[in-house]
Amino acid sequence: MVTSITDDMFTGEAIADPYSYYGKIRDEDPVYWNDLYELWVITKHDDLVWMTRHHELFSSEFWKRDQRSPYPPIDESDMGLYGYMREFFMDWFIQHDRPVHTDQRKVVHKWFNPKSMEMWRPMVQQVIKDMLDEADQNSKMDVMKDFAVPLPLFIIAQMMGMPYQDRQFIRSMAEKLLFIGRGEADRMQPLVDGIKELQEYLAPMVDMHMDLPTDEDNLLSVLTSGGKNGVLTRDEVVANAILLLLAGHETTINLICNGTLAFMQHPDQWQLLKEDNLESPNAVVRATEECLRYDPPVKSIQRVASEDVELGGKMLKEGDRIRWFISSANRDPGKHPDPDTFDITRWPNTHVAFGSGIHHCLGATLARLEAQEAFKTLAERYGKITLDTDEFEYQPSITFRSLKTLPVSLE
Amino acid sequence: MAKLRISVDYDICVGNRMCETFASKVFVINENGQSEVADPEGDTEENILEAAENCPVSAITVVDEETGETLFP
Repeated sequence: MVTSITDDMFTGEAIADPYSYYGKIRDEDPVYWNDLYELWVITKHDDLVWMTRHHELFSSEFWKRDQRSPYPPIDESDMGLYGYMREFFMDWFIQHDRPVHTDQRKVVHKWFNPKSMEMWRPMVQQVIKDMLDEADQNSKMDVMKDFAVPLPLFIIAQMMGMPYQDRQFIRSMAEKLLFIGRGEADRMQPLVDGIKELQEYLAPMVDMHMDLPTDEDNLLSVLTSGGKNGVLTRDEVVANAILLLLAGHETTINLICNGTLAFMQHPDQWQLLKEDNLESPNAVVRATEECLRYDPPVKSIQRVASEDVELGGKMLKEGDRIRWFISSANRDPGKHPDPDTFDITRWPNTHVAFGSGIHHCLGATLARLEAQEAFKTLAERYGKITLDTDEFEYQPSITFRSLKTLPVSLE
Repeated sequence: MAKLRISVDYDICVGNRMCETFASKVFVINENGQSEVADPEGDTEENILEAAENCPVSAITVVDEETGETLFP
């Protein structure tokens, strides 16, 4: 039991400060049954890692296997939309278990391996320079709107061969898909609108690539090769193209914003990065890992128990819903000394921001590369960056840790 | 074929098992869910290097035992 805590994970307090809310659960009842949403809340680092590495016990086929009503509840009239959404998400490769998951992941896995990703670094550096040159013209920027959003969006759109002028459309549709982690009763309509519009947008491109030889320099073409050799159906190619587009930028946005905020709130660490950055190429690598640990872009991940499993003295029954909380595991004092301290020299940094096991984030290297270059350039380029607000508002999502805005002055 | 010294960094390995899918006789998963080198001669050099290259966190190092040359990373 956890004393005096509400099971509503969408309250203003839990959204503003998930570290206190889930930290209390971790301290008092680390494998916690949330009675309101009927799901297990997993909060300890070791439990999370153990579960990720026992994929045979905890299925990723959440949308296929979870037959209960959606949580939080949705408008009764939207159950048809809910069905459409479920069918769509079932086609994502991350919604599969072995062996299907491995076959589908392998279609694009090589594209994202560390060696392949390194080739994109010069382009990332150039895009960052161009964006900051523009921001310098009025010495102010919204880190979210002017930097953290356009950078990863530019790169993933470039990788997938999307026309330059389509980026605004892609972003606004992606924002509709983010309703997946939210609690509003009427969230289904924007979510399904976003899915349908992206399907209509991408389907003709996928069909075009189906008829062409595979272009190894185009991520959409590489993904479509899975459609040609029968690993994916045409609809699955479209669905996974949407996944790559969405996952390819949303989480990195949060990493850049949350990391920049952490630096601004810890001026000593910012100063340390500015000094060490010049001396050691490892400084920004380690700093980025600490940003990933301290305020991770993704707060939680869902699974369904494949069989009855005992964990921490509790019995998780086959079919039970599970949500493990990265944001709590990353602050687990049992794993990280002084977990609430932002320390950019922390090493090794065994955070689980990208998960672990067979479903470890496919785009982790890209996210790291973009964030490293973003923090490095900010540190080298500006003597001082000042927050222009002391109020920080987050999207009401239990999946993503997303600031709404982050205005700063640049000197 | 050159004799290879293959090692896995356990501070880094996340148990993604991609190495296992590229060279299943060389890399096996231990009880911690991390990769372990079972048989360094269990596959071709090409497949072993491909396994190392496709580790998402670059936890695998491959060295030519005779020359001492690092083949990956």
